[in-house]
Amino acid sequence: MHPQIESMFDEAEKRYLKPEELGCLNQYVDSIPARLEIYRYLRDHEVEVMQQVADNLEAQFSEEPQATLERCLKNALLILRYSAMGMLLNDETFLHGRLITWLEGTAKAYQTEAIDQVLYQMLNQRLSQLLSPNQVEMIKPHLQLAEGVLVNQRQAHAIA
Amino acid sequence: MISIADLLVDERIPSDYFANEFYVKGDIELGLLENRQGNRLIAIPETLIQGIYAGLEQEIGQNTNLVLFNCGRWWGKNLYTRFCDEVTDYYQVAVADMTMVEFMHCLRQCWATHGWGQLDLDQTYQQQGFLVISVTNSPFAKQAANSTRPACALEAGVLSVFFSQLTSRELHCVQTTCESMGADCNRFILGLQKRLSPVEALVSEGMEHKAIMEQLCA
Repeated sequence: MHPQIESMFDEAEKRYLKPEELGCLNQYVDSIPARLEIYRYLRDHEVEVMQQVADNLEAQFSEEPQATLERCLKNALLILRYSAMGMLLNDETFLHGRLITWLEGTAKAYQTEAIDQVLYQMLNQRLSQLLSPNQVEMIKPHLQLAEGVLVNQRQAHAIA
Repeated sequence: MISIADLLVDERIPSDYFANEFYVKGDIELGLLENRQGNRLIAIPETLIQGIYAGLEQEIGQNTNLVLFNCGRWWGKNLYTRFCDEVTDYYQVAVADMTMVEFMHCLRQCWATHGWGQLDLDQTYQQQGFLVISVTNSPFAKQAANSTRPACALEAGVLSVFFSQLTSRELHCVQTTCESMGADCNRFILGLQKRLSPVEALVSEGMEHKAIMEQLCA
């Protein structure tokens, strides 16, 4: 859950919520149907979304070993799943402590920055075709956080 | 051709087994800490570690590190068994078949999630038969502040048996630098006991880690 909303519940014994806090809660509740819609779409079309990315990636990096591309694609599948969950919970910190350390280790060890850069361009492009601009905006911060780790480690550290 | 459906075996993609958000679970009603497989975890208060150090120092003085090292070996033996069981179960691959990168990631994350600090492996001297492990923010070193000798014998014992079982060779482990003595991290050299035999004396003489490594590899 969004850390700001989560912290509101800790205040229950002291006071009632302020109007701006209720506003923040309301905003999240109002956004849940839209979040669920994106989440369901990604859940039901995961293979379809990623297969096209995989096909394009394989065509562009035909010289690369299949195992390397598969590793990059598996990371992308993980990132998409975690980003979908982070978006549903409206929690940009969701990926921290669950996936980011794993990605940092992978990025450092396998040095697949060039492939990852193209992969996430393709994935973002694919999502822009399938989702509305508003929907893309909702999932983008989560994806960017993880992409930053793989594509540009320095940028990721700045975000962290 | 890569098939995404084939990559999603059983609908899951294993990632970070030891991620702290997933690994440690607490049951407030029962007052238990468990890992993600339901095995019990215990939380050790700092005062207990301080008490162990103080008690051992008073009772056996110079032999403290030897006792802690042997305790670490018992601990490490059980840790290795549990580590292998859990990792194999989660990743569906035997530890021996994991790549070094995956194995080290798991060990590093396991170490950090259990609260034992940041572990790193330095393979610079691997060809000469030595592995160097560094641990930063060790709770064991922290509780032995201003020590006159390296204080992480427990970890040295754990590491010696862990890597002995992993490599199927009897490896010894000696600590060369310690946070409790003002070093930036705790460094441990792993290697055959015979080859590491001069190290403890060199550490007592105050020789630097790098110089010790140079002497060992000369």
